[in-house]
Amino acid sequence: MSARRRRRRRGGRRRGKAGRGWPRRLAWRAAVAALLLLAAWTAWLDLRIRSEFEGRRWELPARVYARALELYPGAPVGRRALLDELARLGYVRAAGARRPGSYAVAGEAVLLHTRRFRFWDGEEPARRVRVRFAAGRVAALEAAAGGRAPALVRLDPVLVGKFYPRHHEDRVLIRLQDAPRLLVDALVAVEDRGFWRHHGVDPRAVLRALWADIRARALVQGGSTLTQQLVKNFFLGSERTLRRKATEAVMALLLELHYGKEEILEAYLNEVYLGQDGRRAIHGFGLASHFYFGRPLSELDLPRIALLVGLVKGPSYYDPRRHPERARRRRNVVLGVLAERGVISRAEAARARRAPLGVVPQPPALAEYPAFMDLVRRQLAREYREEDLRTQGLRIFTTLDPLLQAAAERALTRGIAALERGHGLPRGSLQGAVVVLDAGTGEALAVVGGRAPRFAGFNRALDARRPVGSLVKPAVYLAALVHPRRWTLATLVEDDPLEVRLDDGKVWAPRNYDERFRGPVPLYRALAESLNVPTARVGLAVGVPAVVDTLRRLGVGRPLRPYPALLLGAVSLSPLEVARMYLTLAGGGFHTPVRATRAVLTAAGEPLSRYPLETEPALDPRVVFLVDHALQRAVREGTGRGLAAYLPVAALGVAGKTGTTDDLRDSWFAGFTGNRVAVVWLGRDDNAPVGLSGAAGALQVWGLLMRALAPTLEPFAPVEPEGIEWVRVDPETGLRADSGCTGSVELPFIAGSAPAERAPCAGAPNPLRWLRRIFE
Amino acid sequence: MSVPATLLLPAASLAALAAGCAATGSGPAAPVEGVGPPPVEERAPQPPPAAATPAPRPARGPVLALLDRSRAAERRGDLEAAAAAVERALRIAPRDAALWHRLARIRLGQGMWRRAEALARRSLALAPRDRALGARNWRLIAAARRARGDAAGARAAERRAEALEGMAG
Repeated sequence: MSARRRRRRRGGRRRGKAGRGWPRRLAWRAAVAALLLLAAWTAWLDLRIRSEFEGRRWELPARVYARALELYPGAPVGRRALLDELARLGYVRAAGARRPGSYAVAGEAVLLHTRRFRFWDGEEPARRVRVRFAAGRVAALEAAAGGRAPALVRLDPVLVGKFYPRHHEDRVLIRLQDAPRLLVDALVAVEDRGFWRHHGVDPRAVLRALWADIRARALVQGGSTLTQQLVKNFFLGSERTLRRKATEAVMALLLELHYGKEEILEAYLNEVYLGQDGRRAIHGFGLASHFYFGRPLSELDLPRIALLVGLVKGPSYYDPRRHPERARRRRNVVLGVLAERGVISRAEAARARRAPLGVVPQPPALAEYPAFMDLVRRQLAREYREEDLRTQGLRIFTTLDPLLQAAAERALTRGIAALERGHGLPRGSLQGAVVVLDAGTGEALAVVGGRAPRFAGFNRALDARRPVGSLVKPAVYLAALVHPRRWTLATLVEDDPLEVRLDDGKVWAPRNYDERFRGPVPLYRALAESLNVPTARVGLAVGVPAVVDTLRRLGVGRPLRPYPALLLGAVSLSPLEVARMYLTLAGGGFHTPVRATRAVLTAAGEPLSRYPLETEPALDPRVVFLVDHALQRAVREGTGRGLAAYLPVAALGVAGKTGTTDDLRDSWFAGFTGNRVAVVWLGRDDNAPVGLSGAAGALQVWGLLMRALAPTLEPFAPVEPEGIEWVRVDPETGLRADSGCTGSVELPFIAGSAPAERAPCAGAPNPLRWLRRIFE
Repeated sequence: MSVPATLLLPAASLAALAAGCAATGSGPAAPVEGVGPPPVEERAPQPPPAAATPAPRPARGPVLALLDRSRAAERRGDLEAAAAAVERALRIAPRDAALWHRLARIRLGQGMWRRAEALARRSLALAPRDRALGARNWRLIAAARRARGDAAGARAAERRAEALEGMAG
């Protein structure tokens, strides 16, 4: 900052020698006192001006960005998704897409002119590319002007929220050199013709205003300079008294004394009040441009600039959304003045007068993603003070995928409505939450905290801790399969009545969901069909503490008590915690911290912190491979088979688990494809029964969500670790089978643990075998 | 196929997969997008696909471009930017074992021993049958362990590396 050299005002005058009669002396003293007072007042104003102007001038809200959309051949972005993203970014549809922030649709392709954007890892230049699509993905990028196509293009990220200062002032700071020349010229021409000449107060303008007032016999014109207006906005209230006028004039003079015209103008551009959005005050042209036109200041054309300049006079009176006709007249007056004063030509003015206002509908309320923002805030709270998040103008780059978030919100709200109708539940009684993570990096892509996703109330995705029911079962089987000599996926477990006397003398007698017993069942089927009794047997045999340890390795951070009931899900977790668990399963036994933030920059773009990709081996990959296989079977042939109504589950290799709690209070589904981990919880806030099992409730919402995401899904085809062998077994006996056995299944085993003994159906010559082969 | 095996590892395994799917034919593997041409040519503009193209798989082009960017940042000495570029590539191809290895190497260069080892392990898990990459991962783990004073662990890792190198040779 190049503040002009400060010139000190003279404080007071040295007192002369007194002593010529008291009345005179009194008058003299009074005069001195008055002068001193005036000087002190001036000095005080001076101090205020300098401290306010030079210190941090504005408390700036932190700006929170979504992930930036990446385009490259093969990117899982369809044409509709791209157009949706462009709409969120405020790109304008314009033939030829000549300017950054515009696009054109040409048949199946989209011609796109991206905006330059500074990311934490460098700057992304503005580029003009043609994007072609095939089968819901990007098929090719082509340089629009010929030449080499870029390998990948990163769009600017959608601004998804802000952390506001407590007084709810908002602005997007701009530098004078970045403000359109036309805006500056228009502003000076309309508001303060003498700006570049005067010293803070313009006597000629005052006289002009006075003359206008006299002719109109009313206060019609202010004659305030931009400097005076800035002082008024900055330091003073809005009452119109003579004393305030005087203060304003003195402060304006002082401001001009200390600072250059450019600094004052820049401050004005950022300070001027230009509108109101509920509690949020819209300050400065930078924000006003986004607020009224949905795009940055640098992309505004003449009619829009004229409208903004016109709004200075009265943002609520000329509000273009509430009073479009008034706003249009005001804009055209401004255009007339600009033409008259030679800022634009008459032809330009005439053309601009015919243009529509170009105002976008009221931008959505600020709390658009309250649940996700909540997660961001909590993760940042470990390193940043709340106050800094609200006032330092930090730029926060998050992992939110707005398109996926919209899909998750739709799936939850529609799913809940359909379930309430279909099951005759009281309308509005059912609540829910959704968490979606990237399976590879652990980035949080979408968080829905309730059935009214815009409502920043109870964030169920993070704070609703509910018993997880059968979602805990994979941990039981992981703990068991670590001992391949004792347990394999083919090991038979008794499904018959079980009673366990607990330490406190009570008897624990788990039952299956359908109250039936099946006799011996292979382990994989016990998990796929979510049988309680065999799970309890396996868990008791391996030991509850081992299961607790496995849960901890999966990523459950909270302390758990090793009671037997834990084996069947008497452990309360939030949807986010469940997602963390299943992320480890999707990651082949590697634990990846869930991240909602990638980086934080200062207002000036300096990197403050980065949240890097980390991973930690947590479980034996071979054991996870076995359990993942059983979870795929759960979706193909077990409790998750309802998903087939929504998705090609076999082709996608979907793995997942239902969860249901006592009296049907909680309905869960957790599952994953190759690239997405998603968890859905449904229940009631008062914890009353909802009458939905995991399969009847949450699974349906999960299916709706994944069906919407289908073109972007990658199949789950886990890398087979070394030391796995596949063997065909007969599920009736758990023994080695061959093609002679009906209903045999091929299962993965940790090498050396597969059954050696042949099932009765295998090996032995069987007259029916060749016959069967003919028909198969 | 005379393609740098380490770089095209996932692509190569894709090719193997495609070959497997193409039944027992003994001819060359069926062409799979992003596998055929060597890396340099892959960045050339691609012709518009025919109308009936199946869903294109993530091509190597963007990943290679990001790797270039990562190496350039590394030469500048900006390891954090180098890591950021690899992370960006991993978002595109999270199962690319070579990328995880590269991130591990950058972390090793930054003195983040534990993080480097964990990333190398992920790389190992994603390509259990790539002996050359496996050996490099174990060497990296050995270096990380030695740096944090775990001499015995380092020796064990070196033995794993040697075993793989022996088999690879």
